[in-house]
Amino acid sequence: MPVLNNVQAVNYALMQEMERDPSVVVFGEDAGYEGGVFRATVDLQEKFGVERCFDTPISESGIVGAAVGMAINGLKPVVELQFCGFTYPAFNQIISHVSRMRNRSRGRFTLPMVIRFPSGGGIRALEHHSESPEVLFAHIPGLKIVMPSTPYDTKGLLTAAIRDPDPVIFMEPKRIYRAFKQEVPEEDYVIEIGKANVVKEGEDLTIVTWGAMVKDTLKAVEEANKKGIFPEVIDLRTIAPLDREAIIQSVKKTGRILVVQEAVKSFGVASEIIALVNEKAFLHLEAPPARVAAPDIIVPLPRGEQYYMPNPDMIYEKILEVVNFLT
Amino acid sequence: MLVDQYSPFEGKMLQILDKDGNVLDESLVPQIPDEDLVKLMKTMLYTRTADRKALMYQRQGRMLTYAPNEGQEACQVGSAYALAKKDWMAPAFRELGAWLQRGVDLKTIFLYWYGNEMGSKVADDIRILPVSIPISSQCLHAVGLAMAARKRGLDEVSIAYFGDGGTSEGDFHEALNLAGVYKAATVFFCQNNQWSISVPKHFQTASETFAQKAYAYGFKGIKVDGNDILAVYVATKEAVERGRKGEGPTLIEGYTYRLGPHTTSDDPTRYREEQEVDEWREKDPIKRFRIYLERRGLWSDEMEKQFVQEADEEVERAFKEVEQSGNTQFDDIFKYQYEKMTPLLEEQYAEYKAFFQERGML
Amino acid sequence: MIQEFKFPDIGEGIHEGKLLKWHMEVGDTIQAGDTIAEVETDKVNAELPSPYSGKVIALLAEEGGIIYVGQVLIKVDTGEVGKSQDQTVEPVAEENAGVVGALEASSEVIPASAEGRKQEAAIPPKRKVLATPVARKMAYDLGVDLRNVTGTGPGGRVMKADIAAAAEKTTAGDSEASKPEQKHETKLEAASKDRNQIERVPLSMIRKTIAKKMVQSKHTAPHATAMDEVDVTELVKFRETAKGHFDEDIHLTFMPFIMKAIVLALKKNPKINSSLDDETEEILLKKYYHLGIAVDTEEGLTVPVVRNVDQKSIVRLAKELNDLGQRARNRKLTIDELKESTFSITNYGAVGSIFGVPVINYPEVAIMGIGKISKKPVVIEDELVIRHMLPLSMSFDHRVVDGGDAGRFMNDVKKYLSDPYRLLLL
Repeated sequence: MPVLNNVQAVNYALMQEMERDPSVVVFGEDAGYEGGVFRATVDLQEKFGVERCFDTPISESGIVGAAVGMAINGLKPVVELQFCGFTYPAFNQIISHVSRMRNRSRGRFTLPMVIRFPSGGGIRALEHHSESPEVLFAHIPGLKIVMPSTPYDTKGLLTAAIRDPDPVIFMEPKRIYRAFKQEVPEEDYVIEIGKANVVKEGEDLTIVTWGAMVKDTLKAVEEANKKGIFPEVIDLRTIAPLDREAIIQSVKKTGRILVVQEAVKSFGVASEIIALVNEKAFLHLEAPPARVAAPDIIVPLPRGEQYYMPNPDMIYEKILEVVNFLT
Repeated sequence: MLVDQYSPFEGKMLQILDKDGNVLDESLVPQIPDEDLVKLMKTMLYTRTADRKALMYQRQGRMLTYAPNEGQEACQVGSAYALAKKDWMAPAFRELGAWLQRGVDLKTIFLYWYGNEMGSKVADDIRILPVSIPISSQCLHAVGLAMAARKRGLDEVSIAYFGDGGTSEGDFHEALNLAGVYKAATVFFCQNNQWSISVPKHFQTASETFAQKAYAYGFKGIKVDGNDILAVYVATKEAVERGRKGEGPTLIEGYTYRLGPHTTSDDPTRYREEQEVDEWREKDPIKRFRIYLERRGLWSDEMEKQFVQEADEEVERAFKEVEQSGNTQFDDIFKYQYEKMTPLLEEQYAEYKAFFQERGML
Repeated sequence: MIQEFKFPDIGEGIHEGKLLKWHMEVGDTIQAGDTIAEVETDKVNAELPSPYSGKVIALLAEEGGIIYVGQVLIKVDTGEVGKSQDQTVEPVAEENAGVVGALEASSEVIPASAEGRKQEAAIPPKRKVLATPVARKMAYDLGVDLRNVTGTGPGGRVMKADIAAAAEKTTAGDSEASKPEQKHETKLEAASKDRNQIERVPLSMIRKTIAKKMVQSKHTAPHATAMDEVDVTELVKFRETAKGHFDEDIHLTFMPFIMKAIVLALKKNPKINSSLDDETEEILLKKYYHLGIAVDTEEGLTVPVVRNVDQKSIVRLAKELNDLGQRARNRKLTIDELKESTFSITNYGAVGSIFGVPVINYPEVAIMGIGKISKKPVVIEDELVIRHMLPLSMSFDHRVVDGGDAGRFMNDVKKYLSDPYRLLLL
């Protein structure tokens, strides 16, 4: 079984899906000949030709807008936007068309397409390369938003995204692109979009997180375990549609909830999850719901980024705070 | 080729019929069967009838915001007539004549303007994307449609409609740039109707013409008299054929005029002179085509009177049907967000349904 | 000074590369910026420039071999002494805040996904309680463990009434409802970072009783407290004089005088010597005067009772107090000696305190706190004089006693204490 890191798993999934389904096309800035700035699409052009994997002008709206037309006309475009911070020029296409075409045409035109991009900070990059904009997409009805945290999940989720009949925003936490490896089965498998993964069972509190923060959360949880605290850790895998059932069930079991997100704190995915818990598990709560997130500031440039990124120590402290709240 | 003969840089505009219906250059007159010529006339008249009645319905409080087409019928009907059934059309929102020319049921079109998304669900065999309101954003869809066709080994062509103001948008640039790079079989049809709501052409661009913009993207553009249906048709026909042969995109500037307001909420007397409108009325596309057909013995006052009356009744019938059954079904607003409702939507659907049921609204 | 040059992450997130060719040899003198070597990675082929000037003293990789990010490639003797200013250069090169950043790269292999495999048995859920935050707060305040309360609300929700009932049951002597589960305690304590600095001391019987009684009192009787000072200069003088008249084994404190004064005042203010029957909603005015005297013992607070104080002389009271106090400290009191007090006194003045907010010895309706007598400047007839002042703090059950009642009672007590002759003659 191949042992791959996260970015290799992206490549592996693309490779297998292009092999399996001739309607899958992959394109983006530097995505063709060079194989992407992170090498996620490496070897695809060589293997499948320039018609199926190709470079584009620097034209995010163009990439996404053209993908809309292609998806309507029988292809399954998997486009790469180079960085999370460069998705914004494509927002008009994403909000006005990608998310709406099925509804607008009452099912006549559908968009089986994937918009992939590296997301999140912690790689000491330039401005616009470090944000975590998942909530901007999650607020748009008609989209699905997926963010994997391991190579195994990356392949399973990306495969599912490509096969999904609706548009999927596939966010790749670039900080962990090459941070670790994992066995990734060669055989065909998908991980269902909309289903969270309980990565660690526990009973003292529920921690919900996703993407690169899963790794940091597990570090903090390991410390907490040494103190006799056993949190349950849920990796969302899919931001939208949210696996509400998994979260609610867990909170009913533990009575406490902590959400860990890399994005800024306010008006975020964590806020939504906490609202959900209050709506659906109010009577089970034994402590105020808590969040670990970045402060509500613009992501600092690399020399200040360490003050921005949530870290395992912060998560650990918050775990203690939530568990120590007396009822 | 016409695109070469009528270079926008030389100040040329393709015109076959002058405003009085005289043929300017017999060699340019396309070979269109008589039967089709009559049909084109009827479609333009039907478009105008439906358009005027839609405006009236809106003023009667029966229709919502509507974008009138009067004066632009030749641009719309003539260009759409040049498309094959397999070709794709990515409209903006002022292309009633093109929709009708391609065979869309007026009832469906009215349903859209009546405020129901079902009006965007055109018949499966008609290749028209829904109305696209964000300006020029549909140009990219047309490029994608054509690119996909080529990748799939199909010789389908796409046409994108937009206005003079639409050329100022970033998506216009990105679409033309992509089309140029990939040689996409896309016809970019700019209905230059002189006004973007209240803003005249010189505030949209410093270019002499819109057609010349194509050259910056490595392909050709042509300016045609947009009120001359024959000129519009031949230019589009050539562009479509070139696209089909793999010769890439073309930009067509249809030089026309919006005789009515931008939409029913607009009052054009605030920003333009009545005299200008009168001048353009003289250049009316239907008027000159009528004279041309009459001279060819294909059309008469009597025929027109009878057809307009029939059209009037048909439009009335279509709109009444829309009024009777045009309200949105509650289920529909949830049903098409995703292929399958998410658990969240299922819950909200049930919750909202119960609310409206309790109040007898469902 | 020897500087090491490590292979930096020159792509974004590469972690290895191939050394194609060295551009220098050991012994060469190089300038910062000179090319050290050519390398190939899966992202870029590049020449690596030296951040240091000096003499190359070691090349640590083979041409054609694989090199890893962070691996030392060359060592350069910069010829400088001590801390080199170039030192900051190295991490910059290594971190490589390049065009698109630097990824953490590692070959660490994480465990394979357990997706689709049989899950280990889930931890059996603990018994969880349905309750609103406001109910949880109430339970916390009342010392009720929600897990032992049966909810009567929708879906078994614990309602506020359930908590109130459970709290009442607790005060009625059923300790079951408030017995915290061992596991819960362990968890909370384990969670504390100062865990090693905590010693576990089991509650003694006395402590448990005190705890229970205090909670009961505080939750049943709405406490209010009145405070005042009494000029006891005359009483101090009197006691000094009186001391000589007694046998040596009698230790005459102020307490018998205070008890006497209180009983006299109680007779004038019968409501203060009462208790409340909740069920019948009647006040029980007591015609006997048994005073509970709080005694501080090693095990904790205990309140022996001096019965029929009104019928006893100062000397007799002094003797009984001595006796009860001693036996209380030796834990020799009988149950009878701790029962049926009608009013209590707590003398925190003995440990130097001035004022306090004493907790009523429920079901009594008031308690007198005695502070430390001290000399204070007082204004009498517009002159500043030094007098012995006794601070008093009386808590009372506001259900039965109002502020006015308390004030009048307090005034009477003051009157007797400030005039020992009146106290003894009555």
